[in-house]
Amino acid sequence: MKAPQTALLLVGSPKPGESSSGSLGAYLLEGLEKHGVKSRTLHVAKAVRSDAAVEELLAAVAAADLLVFSFPLYVDSLPAPAILALELIAARRAAEDGAADPEAGPAFVAICQSGFPEADHSAVAIEICRNFASSAGLEWAGGLIMPEGGMLNSQPMSKVKGMMRSAVGALDLAAEALAAGRPVPDEAVQRMAKPAFPRVAYRFTANWGWRSQAKKEAGGTPLDAQPYG
Amino acid sequence: MNADLPGAALLLDGRRDDEPTLALAHDALVDGLAAGGWAVDDWLLRDDKIAWCAGCFKCWTTTPGLCAHHDGGREVAERWVPSDLVVFLTPVTFGGYSSQLKKALDHVIPVLQPFMRTRAGETRHPQRYERRRDLLVVGTAPAGQAGGPEAQTFRRLVERNTYNMEPTRWTTGVLEQGTNDWEVRVAVNALLAEVGVHAERDAVGMDAARDAIGAGRNEVVA
Repeated sequence: MKAPQTALLLVGSPKPGESSSGSLGAYLLEGLEKHGVKSRTLHVAKAVRSDAAVEELLAAVAAADLLVFSFPLYVDSLPAPAILALELIAARRAAEDGAADPEAGPAFVAICQSGFPEADHSAVAIEICRNFASSAGLEWAGGLIMPEGGMLNSQPMSKVKGMMRSAVGALDLAAEALAAGRPVPDEAVQRMAKPAFPRVAYRFTANWGWRSQAKKEAGGTPLDAQPYG
Repeated sequence: MNADLPGAALLLDGRRDDEPTLALAHDALVDGLAAGGWAVDDWLLRDDKIAWCAGCFKCWTTTPGLCAHHDGGREVAERWVPSDLVVFLTPVTFGGYSSQLKKALDHVIPVLQPFMRTRAGETRHPQRYERRRDLLVVGTAPAGQAGGPEAQTFRRLVERNTYNMEPTRWTTGVLEQGTNDWEVRVAVNALLAEVGVHAERDAVGMDAARDAIGAGRNEVVA
């Protein structure tokens, strides 16, 4: 892996506007920029919306030395538009024979955040990203899993640095290594996977949050309603 | 219901294109289910407009159990809930599902409740409905890749899905592209039999089917 001059953040969240995946990716980009790496960000849900947008996505991928793919866990895997983006990138690289020479292509690093307190939920999603890198002839630079993404709640990392010390430290380590042309170190992977809160406290807060939100929004419909029952 | 009696099957067809082995597998699934006396809701997803699940969670908090958006996404739970068997058909895509299949699956979360509970040592969301169904997942991979790294990831993904979807029984198989019609049919019938659909009662055919999809590559949890 060579030291990147340019990095492209692909935000895999289908959410319009701010997202936790975007926040994590943006923080990693900030770290890379401190080491002189120029960066750009695209949101995949927009980037797969039209032929022109897809061409822009594929051109941006081709121009980058490092791809940062940050996404939320959806049903044990990547969200659909994120998968579509990977399908399109792999197809283009295969058509242009780019997959034949991994060292000539960009390096690829994945960040997956989920609302569960255990990192294991996201392991298969990271495996899928690694398989994609292999299939598309990209150099695998590592995968980071952040549990308890609900605590980030789409806020910029700068606002939650104290609460997310472990993730911040992990992303700092990852940025330093990637900027130097090294894969994400194991220590960063381990720190990222460490929950910020004890499982019981996190779940209590999350369950209280769902009830509280539903009280305001559901107009009296119980949370366990069975509309198709 | 007793899943060994014919019931209602929802086939979520995640084909991106007309790759021949997937087309054969689709036809074998529909024919096998029909031969077993099952009613099939055959849904070719690429034909339908289903917006990306935006992760708004309104299906948990604002309209519990219903996707807040009125398009094909809302139909996923509506067609899922009354089924006795759900079948996923997809090209193995980097070890996962195709974007076409996933655009529907992302809309399955209304069948869960938002709360977090512990099950088998991990945090999970409880089911919204008591009714359970069986799950069959059929993938295709390039020739020689049914035991490759992507197919292995695929099986792990299906297994993870079962932790959250809690099917009564489940099985999965990966067919290699280029497999002929007869082999596809016996393989698919063998998989259907694992989830209680008896389309093929020929023991020789079943053995051949298991060979075609590879010994030990399918798992069934009763």
